[in-house]
Amino acid sequence: MSETVNPEKPALASDLILPEIARVLRAGEIAALVTLLDAPASPSHSGAKLLVKNSSEHWGSLGAPSLDERAAAQAVSFLASRVEAQAFGVAEFAPELIEWRGARVLCERLEPEPHVVICGAGHVGAALARLARLTGYRVTLIDDRAAFVARERFPDTEIHLVAASSGWTQAVLEQIGTGRGVSVAVVTRGHNEDEECLRAVLSAGPDYVGMIGSRRRTNIVLERLREAGMDEECLRGVRAPIGLDIAAVTPEEVALAILAEIIAARRGGAGAPLSAWRREK
Amino acid sequence: MGTISQIEVYRLISEARARGERVVAATVAHTRGSTPQRRGAKMLFFEGGAVAGTVGGGCIEAEVWAEARAALRSGVCALHKFSLTADEASEEGMVCGGTMEIFIDVWGSEQKVTNE
Repeated sequence: MSETVNPEKPALASDLILPEIARVLRAGEIAALVTLLDAPASPSHSGAKLLVKNSSEHWGSLGAPSLDERAAAQAVSFLASRVEAQAFGVAEFAPELIEWRGARVLCERLEPEPHVVICGAGHVGAALARLARLTGYRVTLIDDRAAFVARERFPDTEIHLVAASSGWTQAVLEQIGTGRGVSVAVVTRGHNEDEECLRAVLSAGPDYVGMIGSRRRTNIVLERLREAGMDEECLRGVRAPIGLDIAAVTPEEVALAILAEIIAARRGGAGAPLSAWRREK
Repeated sequence: MGTISQIEVYRLISEARARGERVVAATVAHTRGSTPQRRGAKMLFFEGGAVAGTVGGGCIEAEVWAEARAALRSGVCALHKFSLTADEASEEGMVCGGTMEIFIDVWGSEQKVTNE
């Protein structure tokens, strides 16, 4: 069903939306859950919900089709902003709905749990795994050398360790899954490993993919993939050399530069100093 | 008690509803100034007394806890505003005070209606 529902048992209306929320999250899709916070004119509607995928696909109801339609449109622009959660007054987005004046809604972004997949557990990969974990990301660290992804090296059991015993391709594809919400850092020990990983990563199509190396070294890998017939558009999206320019030197600093770029890509940041405006005049 | 993923939040709510139990979800709907949690942070309260997630520590959490318990009994959703004074804020390790609006939402409330 892709239109608003008209449940026979209104008391359990919010329950009807639960399977739909679960489906969105399982599929790794992005949607907005809109909840009526307070409605002075009809307090019993408080807590009513509307799940919005896009302007024409929504489930549930806030209490009136006219409100649902305007709230869905507001939710669509909210989703474009990348903000996690924001409250809006109905008067802000639908001033003509006089009966809902004074009411407020909460928009919450439903999205896949952000997941950092790291190919290569050398110094940079290991530092990135710990840093990404600290930042709250789900973290998967892959290496084809089992000793490098041994639990003794990473006592934090929230860091998922994968020994690519059957080769990089299979391990990478298994861990990336649908690619939604996934950022991949290719930081292996050599050209050949990078190339094999990148080939697999690009076929999975994650939200972010970056590869470590000098301009020259990354050019060689990208050129080989180009010659092998990899899609030009795909290759252009690869962040190589990976990371923001903070003149990082140590493995930990490089890991920080990579994580900063992953966050900027996810949140829509420019990566420039926040103080730059003070000197622009 | 840390934050929980969205999949976990809705899995826990669905499971409790399948058992026919009410669940209260406290969500940070709006913040102003320095506050201990981001907008959208959630804490769940279950009938058996279990909780999951967090909306920030210390003074606010105790008040949210009381409101959530009351909502589990009454089934009434409501928006609550909490202020952090500068003193309270500094105890939480923040620079200055702020306000948080927290929505206490009841899943499985008999009062919920969706049509006029």
